[in-house]
Parts: sequence; structure tokens; C-alpha cells
Amino acid sequence: MFLPKRLAAGLKARKRVVMSSAQIKAVAARSVRGVIRQPQAWVPSLAFPLFFTALSSAAFEKTRAIPGFPEVSSFVAFLLAATILQGVMFGSTSAGTDVAIDIESGFFDRFLASPISRLALVFGRLAGTILLAAIQALLFIIILMCFGATMKGGIPGLAVTLLVAGLLGGAVGAFAVTVGLRTGSVEAVNGFFPIFFALVFLSSAFFPPQISGGWFEVVAGVNPLSTMVDGMRHLHIVGWDFSKAASAVVVSAVLFFVFVGTSLVALSLRIKR
Amino acid sequence: MSKESPIFVENLCRKFGALSAVNNINLEVTAGQIFGFLGPNGAGKSTTVRMLTTLMTPTSGRARVAGYDVVTEADMVRRSIGVALQDAAIDPIMTGRELLKLQAVLHGVTRKRSKIKSEELLERVGLKGASDKRVGQYSGGMRRRLDLAMSLIHEPTVLFLDEPTTGLDPTSRSALWDEVRRLNKELGTTVLLTTQYLEEADQLADRIAIIDGGSIVREGKPETLKEAVGDPTIRIEVGEENVEAAALALMALGPRRPSLQGRIALGLKGGGENMAAVVRALDDAGIQISHIELDPPSLEDVFAEATGRRLEGSQKGGNE
Repeated sequence: MFLPKRLAAGLKARKRVVMSSAQIKAVAARSVRGVIRQPQAWVPSLAFPLFFTALSSAAFEKTRAIPGFPEVSSFVAFLLAATILQGVMFGSTSAGTDVAIDIESGFFDRFLASPISRLALVFGRLAGTILLAAIQALLFIIILMCFGATMKGGIPGLAVTLLVAGLLGGAVGAFAVTVGLRTGSVEAVNGFFPIFFALVFLSSAFFPPQISGGWFEVVAGVNPLSTMVDGMRHLHIVGWDFSKAASAVVVSAVLFFVFVGTSLVALSLRIKR
Repeated sequence: MSKESPIFVENLCRKFGALSAVNNINLEVTAGQIFGFLGPNGAGKSTTVRMLTTLMTPTSGRARVAGYDVVTEADMVRRSIGVALQDAAIDPIMTGRELLKLQAVLHGVTRKRSKIKSEELLERVGLKGASDKRVGQYSGGMRRRLDLAMSLIHEPTVLFLDEPTTGLDPTSRSALWDEVRRLNKELGTTVLLTTQYLEEADQLADRIAIIDGGSIVREGKPETLKEAVGDPTIRIEVGEENVEAAALALMALGPRRPSLQGRIALGLKGGGENMAAVVRALDDAGIQISHIELDPPSLEDVFAEATGRRLEGSQKGGNE
């Protein structure tokens, strides 16, 4: 009597897991499809960082001669990590705006009135965002390598770069989803855009902080984005280094899990009926 | 009242701060019935539907849908119901077929079953030709029909339609009514629909409840409710300046009923036989008649009698 009961419970749990993973996949597919079908959602986050990189490399190519500047074949190679960071951060906010649009339009209620696993609502959305961030990073690498960027860390360096990009995309996406769920407003999500912009500039993304010194060096030093940029950059322009790779992965993973946590709290508050 | 009815509601209340949006509602919908929930905007229709579809928790009272408690067995309720909420909230970026597939996955319908069911439903709602077009290109009527199909993909036992025809043109509205009738007849699905259109409730519902200010003010079969009103309504256009004088002249012929501006409406005692008396009374009072009509009791009269107002947007209505 005891065994069949356990068996039945086990089968029920298995069915639930299978159903949840199918739901996550379906929500992720919708998220990816939504981005692909709306060029306005991905063209700016692809074009703007490339444009900025082209501009910066033309204007600051000679800064490579400044003592203390990392040894690098071109400024484009130096900027590869910054381009990825910028593109992924700006592109991943669409996870939050899409959630806010769903809430505003009432589509979110359709999800809530169905037996979808509540976790699938967030994880499905983030799975799509992570995938898109990794694809975006890969595109930046391919494009910039045509203009002098390098991947000295080889395949492991590439894999870590994509992993960091995916986790960062997931973290920014989760933060944007948190704001979207709490406010249900596209404007509120977009309102955080300047903050992301400032955070990127207050990191080591565009210039080595040790050369600037002063307050910028202090701020960039405590900015977690600098750890990610420095880790990726080392893999791009120097070569494979486990500790640098691990630091970048750990920081991006911590940010990811923190913001996944806040998004789950926001979800529970949203569905508290 | 049977707790095993597809919809069973007992003393249901929902408050938002001091505001009581739904106030002690009791109702029962039996299997296979189309139940119309009729009321003006802000009456509490959608709040009630949101509670019954687990999107909102009641402040007090209880409700069972498809045999499950909406609070303690919300997941089972969600598995048993189909919901088409107001404004056909559908992702415009996706195609009709993709949305049906998504909805099927959300309800755990197998891939094979989902494919068969999608084709069947697309055919049924007349969207087969447009199924691979993005929903953004659909008309309002097409969206509503897709919404209906989506709510049926998992073969629910209870279907909630929240103002399904609001904003639709008469042809699309009529097509949707036919579809609701057909699925109710063929599949035996129990339907609860909210509406602010008297004609819709009259055409579709086996039973209706009129809700106003969060409370149910009348409930029953449409014919029974109309019969209870009794006398037919006579509506006379006399011009705004003559309304009060006309009311005085006709006082003895029946109780006044709400009507449009510039008109007077009475529940005419004795019905058509007293039409001549009305004309004479107004003539004696020197009031000119621009238009006169006598209508048998309608749901509009039921609503007016129950609330003291005309239902906003009703054909002969308007607030007095």
C-alpha cells in the first residue's frame, strides 16, 4: 500500500517537472520570437555599441601609448569586452519591458489564469534573455574580430565570455523583470536605462582606471562590472587565466542569482491576489 | 444549492480598502447552462469573474468552480476553466496558431492532442486561413474568436467570457453569439458571460443575474424576470420642457420608469388598451407628442425596475 502511494506521488512530481520544463521552454521561445520579430528591440542594442566602439577606437587609438595601458594589438581588441557589456546590458532590459507590456495588455492575466508553474513565468523569460545575450555577444566577437579584436584565451576564453554575457544578460533581465512586475509600467523599466549607462561608464569598460586615478579609479574598483570586464578582457587580449575567468563568472553569477531572487519576490507580490 | 454545481458562490465579497466592489453575492450555475452576468461598468462583474478565475482572492465568502475551491484549490480550478478576459489580451507579435500552441502547453495538453485540437478550433472559429498571420493583423472580431478558441484548447468544463463582444461590430457580435451557443450545445460547456449589453444577455443566457453596486439585484430566467415587471413600457417623446407636465398628466396611468432626456416612460397599466387614454391625457394637458411607442417588458425594464436607472448604452436607455 505504501509503495504504490509513493510511486504515484513520484509520478505526479515527475509529470509536474516535465510540464514545468515544457512551459519554461514555451515562454522562452515566445520571448526569443518576440525579440527577433521586433527589430526595434535588438537593432539599437547591437548597432549602438558597435557605433560607439568604432567612434572610440578612432578617437582613442593613440591612448594605447600611455604608460600603464594594457599591451594590446588595437583599441578595438581592448574594447571587445566593453562592447559586449554595453550591448548585453541594454538589450536585456527588454525582458522587463516585455513583462510590463504583458501586464498592461492583460496577457499576463492569461498566464495567471492557467495552471502554468509560476516559476516558469520568470525562468522562461530569463532563459530567452540569456540565450539572446549569448548570441549577441557571439555576434560582437565575430564582427570585432574582423576589425582587429582577438580571442587569445581560445575556445575556453570564448566559452567563458559567452557564459559571462549570458549570466549578465540574465541578471539585467531579472532586474528589469523585477521592475516590470512591481510597476507594470514600460516607462518605469526604461527609466533605469540611464543608470545602466552610467554604471558601464563608471567601470573599467572604456579606459583603464589605474591610468585615470582619483575618484574614478575608486568607483571603477568597486563596480562589479569592472571585474567582469577585466576578466573577459584578459581572456581576449592576454590569454587563458583561470582566476580571471572565475572572478568574472562568479561576479556575474552572484548578480544573476541576486536579481533572480528579487524577481521572484516581485512575482509573488504581483500574484498575491 | 449544490456545491457540486460547476459554479457555486456563497456570500462572496471583495473589498478594496473601504470600497466594497462585490458585496455578499450568492449564485449557482448548473451544468450546461449559459449564465449571463449583466450590469453597467463598475458594477462588480469583472471583479467577480477575477475571483472565480483565481486572479483575485475574495475578502470573504467562498466560491467553488468545477467542484474546486477558488482559494484552496486554485490550481485545480485553473485546469478546469477556460477564460477569455476583457479586451482580448493577445500578443500581437505571435500568430494565431502559435498562440493556440502556447496555450496548450500552459495547460499541459500533449503535442499530438494540441495539434488536432488547434486545427479543429481554428476551423470552428473560422480562422484557419489566417492562422499563420500575426495577430496584430487581425480585426477585433478575429481576435475575439481566437481568444475564444484559446480558452477552449484544453476542453474546459467551465468557460468564463468577460464582456466578449464589447467593441465589436454587430456582424462580429452575432457571429460570436452563434459560436458560444454552438459550443454550449455541442460540447455542453457551462458558460458564465459578463455583459453590459441587454440584448446579449437576452439572446444568449438561460439565466441571468443583474449586478449593480456590487450586489445582485435580480436573478432568474430572462422570461420570468420580464414577466415579473408586468406592464409594458410606453415611451413618449414630448420635449425636455414638457417632461414634468406630462408626468403629472399621466400619473394615474402607471408608474414612471427611467427614460432618455426629453422623453417620458411609464409602466402602462392595462397595456395597449390604455394607449388612447395616454394620448387623450396629454392632449388635454396641451402637450404635443413627437413620438410614441409601446414595448413589451424587456430586460431593460427589468434593469430599470431593479436599479431605478437605465443601463448606460442600452438602445432606449440613458440615465434619467
